[in-house]
Amino acid sequence: MFLRANPICAGIGRLHATGLIWDYRHRPTPLSREYTMRIKFQRGETPSVFVTDPDLSALAGGRPLPHVYHDPLRLCLTLPGTREWAGTMRIDQTFVPWATTWLYYFEEWLISDEWKGGGKHPDATDDERYSRRVRRATR
Amino acid sequence: MNQMFTALPQAHLLLRKAEIYSLLDQICQALELTAAQLEAARTSYEAVAEWLSESDNPLLKWIDIYAHGSTGLGTTVKPIGREDFDVDLICKVLRFTADRPPAELKRIVGDRLKENARYAAMIEEKKRCWRLNYAREYHLDISPTIINANCGNGGELVPDKKLREFKPTNPKGYKALFERRAALMPTLRVQKALAAEDRAAVEPFPVHGTAKGILRRTVQILKRHRDVHFLEVVEEIAPISIIITTLAAQSYEYCVKSFVFDSELDVLIATVRLMPHFIDKPVVNGRRIYVVANETTVGENFAERWNTEPARVAAFYEWHAKALADLEALPDLQGIDVIGKSLESSLGSSVVRKVMDARTESISQARTAKKLYVAPMVGLTLSSAVHATPVRSNTFFGD
Repeated sequence: MFLRANPICAGIGRLHATGLIWDYRHRPTPLSREYTMRIKFQRGETPSVFVTDPDLSALAGGRPLPHVYHDPLRLCLTLPGTREWAGTMRIDQTFVPWATTWLYYFEEWLISDEWKGGGKHPDATDDERYSRRVRRATR
Repeated sequence: MNQMFTALPQAHLLLRKAEIYSLLDQICQALELTAAQLEAARTSYEAVAEWLSESDNPLLKWIDIYAHGSTGLGTTVKPIGREDFDVDLICKVLRFTADRPPAELKRIVGDRLKENARYAAMIEEKKRCWRLNYAREYHLDISPTIINANCGNGGELVPDKKLREFKPTNPKGYKALFERRAALMPTLRVQKALAAEDRAAVEPFPVHGTAKGILRRTVQILKRHRDVHFLEVVEEIAPISIIITTLAAQSYEYCVKSFVFDSELDVLIATVRLMPHFIDKPVVNGRRIYVVANETTVGENFAERWNTEPARVAAFYEWHAKALADLEALPDLQGIDVIGKSLESSLGSSVVRKVMDARTESISQARTAKKLYVAPMVGLTLSSAVHATPVRSNTFFGD
């Protein structure tokens, strides 16, 4: 299992019949907090990345969090319908470093109130078909 | 396994201290005069020197103009809310002897400057010096001095504020002593946890300009902290730069010769912590006085005014306690936002934002260029160490 072998996300995990759960602790830079992370992956689907501690919403102090999915709260790390992620890719080489950059831009956002990591919002496009596809993919 | 877990938090702390020191270093770089600004000022004062020495007044035939103060020491800090900066110059008039009136020394230099139409338009008289204002860039403060025949250390004499008598001073000796102290290297403990790591991974961001040394950075950080701390204070009670510089230099020498440190940040903090111990408090005529002596000549007390204006004493100790507390708190703070906010409140938000934004920009550029990595312990890094994982392209999505 690559998640187990990569020292950037040393942690513990559980495999089950159709996927896995991986828990690890991570500090995106030496100046940053340490975050407790959980990655959930069902075969054939896009992995979900959760920050279980600290509470991101509490840190944001009431401001709406940038680039997250809700219910449950998880990080939006890749644009659905692109080739950024495919089922054949390694999670430790995609979602783990993406989560690191997300956390970096998140702490930066906490102080500047400006998301400097770029990205797309679901409402940013007028293309109906594209939006539908995105909505399906993110449900 | 057990060993690894006990070593890790310590290694994190060391990495954080290294990063905080590199932030402070970058803040100083953003605050100090650029090489181009210094060069422009040098060209200006060399022209002034030439003009003075071409005078018909034989007293001005032999003069020596040189930068002293922060420009000479390499500890400049741009003033808050002003675009121009000071360049302090000594104009040593070699033929002027101590038996002549101090007021005459100042007058002959001023008269000669005013003979030049350009200088006449920009000259301003100050208590002890002549100021030439170069529009919106800098001003030169030219203090005339003479040779101090009684000082065995190459000292000079400068007119006092009332221009009634000459007082000893020694800018060149002071600078030489400061430079000797700034060149002292602290002993840093080599940490096993870090030594075992890939060297490239220990430095998340390449730090440039470390040649400045910790003492100069300490002085710059303290002067900036003072400027921010006393920004709203109307009275003239803030500790003057020469007192901060002298105490920091003495404390730095003592610290690097006495202790072994974990990090550069620890050297900086220890230096600040021990500064008050270098204030002398002798009892003279039954009264305790404060002395921060110029160690390179006899009879110059930088803290002279503390003995007639006690508010300055209180202001020093109150400010020093705040500066020390702010710096001591830094290593325990976690979160870019938390560290950023602390630095903004103690060193000023615009310069701190500028430095933090530049770091974010370098991360974003590396990310776009696919030169950003995640390494164990360090996290995001621009160097591709052995165990680093490259950050592939992605697009953050969602609301």
